[in-house]
Amino acid sequence: MVKKTVTVKNEAGLHARPSSALVKTASKYDSDFYISMYGYKVNGKSILGVMTLAAECGAEMELILEGRDEKEALDEISQLFENEFELH
Amino acid sequence: MTERIEFNGVPASHGIGIGKAFILEERNSDVNPEKIHEEDIDYNLEKCTRAFSKLKSEFQHLKNESEGEVADIVDAQIETLKDPELKKSILRKIKEERYEAEYAIFSTLNEFIHIMENSDASWLNDRTIDLMTIRDQLIDAAKNRSRDESIEENSVVFATAISPTKMIELSRSHIAGVVMQKGGLTSHAVILSQSLDIPCIISAKWKNKRIKNGEDIIIDGDEGTVVVRPKEKEEVHYARLKREQQKNYKKELEIVEKPSKTKCGAHFLLQANVEFLEELPRIKTHGAEGVGLLRTETILFQKTGFDLEAQLDFYRKVVEASGDKPVTIRLFDAGGDKLLEDAETESNPFLGWRGIRMLLDQNELLTNQLKAIYILSGEYPGRIKLLVPMVSCNSEIEKLKENISSIKEELKSENTNFDDNLPLGVMVEVPSVALMADRLAKLVDFFSIGTNDLTQYTLAVDRGNEKISTLYQPFHPAVWKLIRMTKEGADQYGIPVTVCGEMASKPKAAACLMGLGITNLSMTTSALPKVKSMLCNHSLSEMQKLAEDVSESNSPDEVISLLEGFGS
Repeated sequence: MVKKTVTVKNEAGLHARPSSALVKTASKYDSDFYISMYGYKVNGKSILGVMTLAAECGAEMELILEGRDEKEALDEISQLFENEFELH
Repeated sequence: MTERIEFNGVPASHGIGIGKAFILEERNSDVNPEKIHEEDIDYNLEKCTRAFSKLKSEFQHLKNESEGEVADIVDAQIETLKDPELKKSILRKIKEERYEAEYAIFSTLNEFIHIMENSDASWLNDRTIDLMTIRDQLIDAAKNRSRDESIEENSVVFATAISPTKMIELSRSHIAGVVMQKGGLTSHAVILSQSLDIPCIISAKWKNKRIKNGEDIIIDGDEGTVVVRPKEKEEVHYARLKREQQKNYKKELEIVEKPSKTKCGAHFLLQANVEFLEELPRIKTHGAEGVGLLRTETILFQKTGFDLEAQLDFYRKVVEASGDKPVTIRLFDAGGDKLLEDAETESNPFLGWRGIRMLLDQNELLTNQLKAIYILSGEYPGRIKLLVPMVSCNSEIEKLKENISSIKEELKSENTNFDDNLPLGVMVEVPSVALMADRLAKLVDFFSIGTNDLTQYTLAVDRGNEKISTLYQPFHPAVWKLIRMTKEGADQYGIPVTVCGEMASKPKAAACLMGLGITNLSMTTSALPKVKSMLCNHSLSEMQKLAEDVSESNSPDEVISLLEGFGS
């Protein structure tokens, strides 16, 4: 299992479009992916779960991955946060 | 219950619709929490999986046929269907709690809807309508009710409210009209119904009228009248009226080819108001000489506001569709009733953080949009204009100009071409701007009067508030007086004035605006032919006489009777 704490840097927060990008990226990997925030843990491959966190700019969340490709997945997902989900 | 009934709503998109009632909501009324037997579990699981894949392929199909923001909306819906938590919860309700598939779908989606509705984030509240649509469509699919089959051509659709995507989908089924329980005149769905030529009536309380699917319906989108189970002679009357309208409409379209000149030879310019890509084909067929108002908020609500390429892509499509004619792009007019996702709830949103007020605070958003527009101006020099919404004082323009200067510096340093003389205009929609037009005119290159908001702010009447809707008087003499002042102020510095509000789309009001010397009008595309025909068939002196009389009126009623009497 790998874990990493990341910060939402997008000005508008983790709204529909970044959530969708996050879920799409996570779904490419086999590993289980969870996001822990405000003491809640949601499935990071669930767009409804991620959106309902309503994470604002500046929010910190813990990414938790478990599975055979957990490291690659964590890298790519944290990169998304780093790049503010630049989608094109 | 077989006798004829008639009731009224607010006319929102013109034309007569004759057809059979199709009630959008009634389809899902029979979802019950009934427990199933163990041997039925597999059947229900399979029914559920089938519903998901059926809807997914329908969405995929719709996405392939759409572009831009519509495709993005559909894509988000596809993503929701793929949600593992959603599916897990539904399957668990069937397997463990032994509910039938429809109820498992219903209650699971409602749980998510409930979370979204109760969230502090307003953007999340707005997503609930999407989830409700998916919920209803999944249940339909589980029940094996095909939406495409059930919505027949010439249906008159009754709904609580309709999303923009639904309106586009309905237009493809060639429906005869739409009646909504809710709705505002400026909602996206209404704007779409106008540009897609679907007669539409809003704020029509149809739910207590016991209308059944398949019953005969006539709606009159010009009067706001709904007739249920009409008498035979009425059907004949409306069918004739409809034929006449269509004949007139064809005749009106002939005018598209004629030069834009009054009977006495004075030139005028008619342009289109555009918000969705779906409206673009009509620019040419309806004879618009360019786009006088491009609303850009859709980009923002599709969450592509921060994405430079997505913005450019949208603008380029509009500019290309306009041939070699100019396009006026209005900066994001969010706020008011069009909330941004991270906006806080305000007690007076229409008097609040909207338009330029918000943009000056949201630097990244403003910078991005200005950059996109300036890059575009380099690609199409001389064809792009920039319009600023919700200005209420000079300092807002001065601040915006500072932003523009730094964008220009940035583009210069990147060796990117842009139009250095890109005209900058302000929306005149707040009385303070109309009153100070003579001072503001030296700061900008043109004015564009938004009559809907100007009316609302002049009369202090929230145009979305049903309780006071009778007080919303677009033809109030005070509004005309402010329009006249704006024109006089503009004349002092020789800058042009456009009217891009609803007033421009009413032929006789347009004639009156011409009489005031306002020769540039921008309106919903469907109104272009009838406005052009009105202006072509009268002389400037007739219109000036009308404008003079209107300026001296004492009441909205007096103005309305003057307008009604014009040319007849």
